[in-house]
Amino acid sequence: MRLSDASVVIRPRTSWEAMDLGVLMAREHRTLLMASWALITLPVFVLLTALLWKSPSTAMFLFWWLKPAFDRLPLYILSKTLFGEAPSLKQAIREWPRLLKGQLLASLTWRRLSLSRSFVMPVSQLEGLDGEARQKRLGVLQQRNAGAARWLTILGVHLEIGLWFGCMALFYLFIPQQLELDWDWQRLALATSSEGLWLEHLGNAFYALILVFWEPIYVACGFSLYLNRRTVLEAWDLELVFRRLRQRLSSVAPLLLLVSALMLLPFSPPAVADDSKPSKEVSTQAASQSIKTLLDKPPFKNPETVTRYRFGEEKPTAKNKAHGEGKLPAWLQALLDNLNSNSFKHVALGLEVLLWSLLAGGLALLVWRYRDWLRTFVSRQGPRKPNAAKPVPTQLFGLELGTETLPADIASTVEQLWSTQPREALGLLYRGLLSRLLHDFNLPLKSADTEGQVLERVHQLQLPQLLAFSDELTRHWQNLAYGHRLPPTSAQQQLCNDWRALFSSGAAQ
Amino acid sequence: MPSAPLDTLYQIETPEGIDLPLRPAGLLPRALAFAFDLGVRGLVMGILLVPLALLGNIGIGLGSLLLFLVSWWYMVLFEVLNQGCSPGKQVMGLRVVQDDGTPIGWSASLIRNLLRFVDMLPFGYFLGAISCLQHPHFKRLGDLAAGTLVVYREQLLARPQVPQAAALRLPFALELSEQRAILGFAERQGELSAERVHELASILATPLQVSPARAVEQLNGVARGLLGPT
Repeated sequence: MRLSDASVVIRPRTSWEAMDLGVLMAREHRTLLMASWALITLPVFVLLTALLWKSPSTAMFLFWWLKPAFDRLPLYILSKTLFGEAPSLKQAIREWPRLLKGQLLASLTWRRLSLSRSFVMPVSQLEGLDGEARQKRLGVLQQRNAGAARWLTILGVHLEIGLWFGCMALFYLFIPQQLELDWDWQRLALATSSEGLWLEHLGNAFYALILVFWEPIYVACGFSLYLNRRTVLEAWDLELVFRRLRQRLSSVAPLLLLVSALMLLPFSPPAVADDSKPSKEVSTQAASQSIKTLLDKPPFKNPETVTRYRFGEEKPTAKNKAHGEGKLPAWLQALLDNLNSNSFKHVALGLEVLLWSLLAGGLALLVWRYRDWLRTFVSRQGPRKPNAAKPVPTQLFGLELGTETLPADIASTVEQLWSTQPREALGLLYRGLLSRLLHDFNLPLKSADTEGQVLERVHQLQLPQLLAFSDELTRHWQNLAYGHRLPPTSAQQQLCNDWRALFSSGAAQ
Repeated sequence: MPSAPLDTLYQIETPEGIDLPLRPAGLLPRALAFAFDLGVRGLVMGILLVPLALLGNIGIGLGSLLLFLVSWWYMVLFEVLNQGCSPGKQVMGLRVVQDDGTPIGWSASLIRNLLRFVDMLPFGYFLGAISCLQHPHFKRLGDLAAGTLVVYREQLLARPQVPQAAALRLPFALELSEQRAILGFAERQGELSAERVHELASILATPLQVSPARAVEQLNGVARGLLGPT
């Protein structure tokens, strides 16, 4: 074992960090570890399954119980690779029967359930200790880090269970929907018939696959814990540096002799210390050369090749160059030149116009197609127009306003009616007024307007005569309609006269 | 053999050219920290849900709100407001930082904790565990997405005892690692067996021009010299 050959950085770590290093070690040689583990465990698993087809749990239990026997191979590989002598897959597998010889019975019986199994395994396998010597050694080693080793095993158990459930869940998720599996888990779990067996064996197979991934990591973590414990106990890191220091100093031993002689003198030890490194003559040119090479190296210059897509701005020029180099055949060149000539310019122009007009036409078509949508949601004028087009109301306060419902000469009809049915007479007059306002003066009356609002609108027309008449009529009408107070007889004559004065002349015009 | 030896350190170089070594934490301490956090959350929920359950429908409503807060915000709030440590991480001596070693912020913490539910797929941290065991710096998927790193916190060190000896200066220059090794030799003598101390010191007996028997004393003297007057 030569510490200087170690492929990991040797320094004392905390127990957690030591196990992290184990994960890294397993990761570094993952293919070899996983392949060798799979090659020795999977045949055993298949054999056990075939032999114990009727009782899958027993097969699983036996396989699980045999784990320490399998664990010896990853440990062997890891211990070899630690010092840079990675064995090939074939060598490793061939080595396995020999590894099984020492203390197999013990590791498969009373040491099987030890929680710090991975941590103490190297003692018996790599150091070859047994009996009293092993106990003593373990006593020293387990003063520290043993707790972490136990946690490692506990986590391992949980991780195996978690990964196993994960695999089962994945398997269940990948069953196609069309299969319409209507599984009753309880029935499957309790079933001892053959239909339940394959599922249990499938679960066992998942467990075997999980171990292919996890068990080498577990072994590596235990191994790195062991390494760390020994590093702390035996100060491997110090030994490494001390040996390197001795090697460095042995090359300058003759100088040192001189130095130690000078030590006796009271003068200038620092200067001597500077001299201990052999200096050589350097010319200016060589110095600048070496500075240049230094400056071209990583800490000062970090060249990096970046490949990515971008818009081809340089492309046309590149193509033109290709033309110029005459790489195209002559006929193609001629054709291209022809296409570039003036005669095709008009065609090109026409084509351009056509394309642009197509675009414009398309846009226009689009606007036309969605004109209603645009009017509704985009234009501000949109909502008002329907308002203006709103039909005039045919009724106000329950009074018919259509021109056809009114007699031709309203004033004389009113005079006739007044003596017998004053209410109908006044109502007719008021209806006539409203109808006129609506149709002749185009007042925007709504069916919800009150008499007062109608008057206000008349006020806006700014016709004093009409306003006075409307005022008078409305007052009489309201008194009669709501207050049941008949207007005086004189009012009848005046209203009819006013009506004639206002509207008969207008009708005659 | 790989060109650089394996190590668990994660080196960051600051713009000032200072190397900061961080020590990323692997699956095991993180799993334990998570288990601790889970226990704390379970306890809090249990204690708070019992009185809420007595309140009928409004209690169920409040309980659901509480469940939401505790399951989605517990980690985020602790990580951002407590220097990257949830209680479990505090116990295990862990801390979450950004990839460049700066303290974790709201967005990164939210991302890494929202993606926790991707790590849990399809069952019980299946993806997270595999990613954590496969990544060189032990990141789960949430860490990859958020650009965060779980590291060991720097713990306070007890002042080491250096054995008494007359300070010495060596007649040749020592490199930094060699100085550290000699200091480490002096500091760790208590943990090593006497035979091993002697064996280690005798490696350097010849270059130090002393007999192997006196090498330990000589090295302790050198360590004192390196330490300077204390």
